[in-house]
Amino acid sequence: MVTTLFRYGLLGLVLMITIFPMLWMLRVALLPKGLPLTAETLLSVTVTGANVLALLDSDGLVRPFFNSLVVGGGVTIGNILFGFMCAYALSRYRLIENRFILFTVLAVLFVPVHIVIIPLYLLAVESGLYDTYGALILPFLVNPIGIFLVKQYLDGIPTAMEEAARVDGASEFRILFQIVMPMARPALVVLAIQVFFTNWNSFLFPFILTSRSDLHTLPVALAMIQGRQGIEWPELMAGATLAVVPVLVVFVILQRHIVSGITAGAIKQ
Amino acid sequence: MTQRWRSLALLSPWLLTLALFWLFPIGWSIYLSLTDYQLFRDPSFIGIANYLALLRDSDFLGALENTFVFVLGTIPVTTVIALALALLLQHPFRGRTLFRAGFFLPWLTSIVVVALIFTNLFARGGYLATLASLLGFTPPEYGFLFDDRTALFAIMGMDVWMSVGYYMLIFLAGLEAIPRELYDAATVQGASWWRRFRSITLPLLRPVLGYILVINTIKSFQVFTEIFVMTKGKFDTATIVFFIYEQALTTDFSFGYASAAAYLLFLIIGLVSLLPFLAFARQRRSLW
Repeated sequence: MVTTLFRYGLLGLVLMITIFPMLWMLRVALLPKGLPLTAETLLSVTVTGANVLALLDSDGLVRPFFNSLVVGGGVTIGNILFGFMCAYALSRYRLIENRFILFTVLAVLFVPVHIVIIPLYLLAVESGLYDTYGALILPFLVNPIGIFLVKQYLDGIPTAMEEAARVDGASEFRILFQIVMPMARPALVVLAIQVFFTNWNSFLFPFILTSRSDLHTLPVALAMIQGRQGIEWPELMAGATLAVVPVLVVFVILQRHIVSGITAGAIKQ
Repeated sequence: MTQRWRSLALLSPWLLTLALFWLFPIGWSIYLSLTDYQLFRDPSFIGIANYLALLRDSDFLGALENTFVFVLGTIPVTTVIALALALLLQHPFRGRTLFRAGFFLPWLTSIVVVALIFTNLFARGGYLATLASLLGFTPPEYGFLFDDRTALFAIMGMDVWMSVGYYMLIFLAGLEAIPRELYDAATVQGASWWRRFRSITLPLLRPVLGYILVINTIKSFQVFTEIFVMTKGKFDTATIVFFIYEQALTTDFSFGYASAAAYLLFLIIGLVSLLPFLAFARQRRSLW
């Protein structure tokens, strides 16, 4: 009984610490501009949606929101397609070179990405990809953890269905996309969520690979707005809320998939 | 043979993308680091001169020191809290899912968003300054982020707040893989909680602990975004990746020099992350 109380007390305290900054963000986002952020104003009942509406105005965050969706969607679809094909080959064709490729995939997982900041920037500039959606999508179509995840899943699916289809004369293309892909759906969903979230939140590469403000993704736009003259906290926090809410909604709906995606890299069985 | 071609056809889009955007740049940056390449100046080979210059560059050494403070300060704290939370959530009880989701929430939030929220919380006269004075401390005059003594530690605190839930999830997955019978058998034989933790949990958690230390080491050495958003590297908070960004993409565009810094960091990460790997991940499963 005492231990139970102690456990809930401790967990409750930690939960308050983790949730508090998010609640703070929401509260400030709903505060009218021009007020000091004191206890009285924060605890008052004054609530306004003006900041959110202002951000959705012409030069606000609509474009970055749209960009984040386009880039995130492109990267996710590409990863599902490439990742699935790659994982299928690694799972079904046990060739010597595939063993080596799988090792490379795992090695890439541990490469510190900072090493490509400069060469990727230069490559984008030289190839004309700089300041295009291509720069934000193409380099991120390969996600090593995704390959691993889907390969593991495919390893667990018996090949009987594929062989039966092959005997019936189905083309390899059909087998791949109409028979195996639907069966791999749970793993592909996890992959999609993982890739989309990573992309939605990423800052470093979108920041160095674009300069035009009409190509900014949400995180880049938010970081840039911060330095702007005359910007106030309620507006900034409203923008932050805009970036968080979609993630929260998806998380609440798909919690199980997200958790299994996160832990997939750690527990290999 | 046809199988080999079919396999290659399926692999090629992925492999080409990997080669073009990741493997080639990784190799190219070795070459860049050995040149004096700058904007509007063709690269010429200068050997290891960049590396030697870096080791005498006080900005670089300051960034190196800050990065080490960040890594050594955050990783132990994050790991211990994450493990403690995972242990509290190890066995099913009412409300477990809620706590797990709540603790994990910060990790799902964009780091830019987290940095903006904490910039506000750390500000002069802000929430945390007020809290500090209520507890009898004197907060820095211009806020925690505008003081050489507190800025880096403030950012480190935020980083712990943000990452604890993520590592907790990985620990939890590791704990779930431990057979329940082991605990039951130990309890029957009268083993105390501490004894069970030391003799069952910890040894079986070693591979997971090793994995967590390695990925957190790799990630923490590359800390950049929170520095960029919160202090722009001022107040003694510049880290190596921030140094690389400044050298390569702001005023000087010294691509060669910055690449050398990137490679030095790469080597440091390689060496340091090998340590827990050697110590913990001895029994690795076969990949096939």
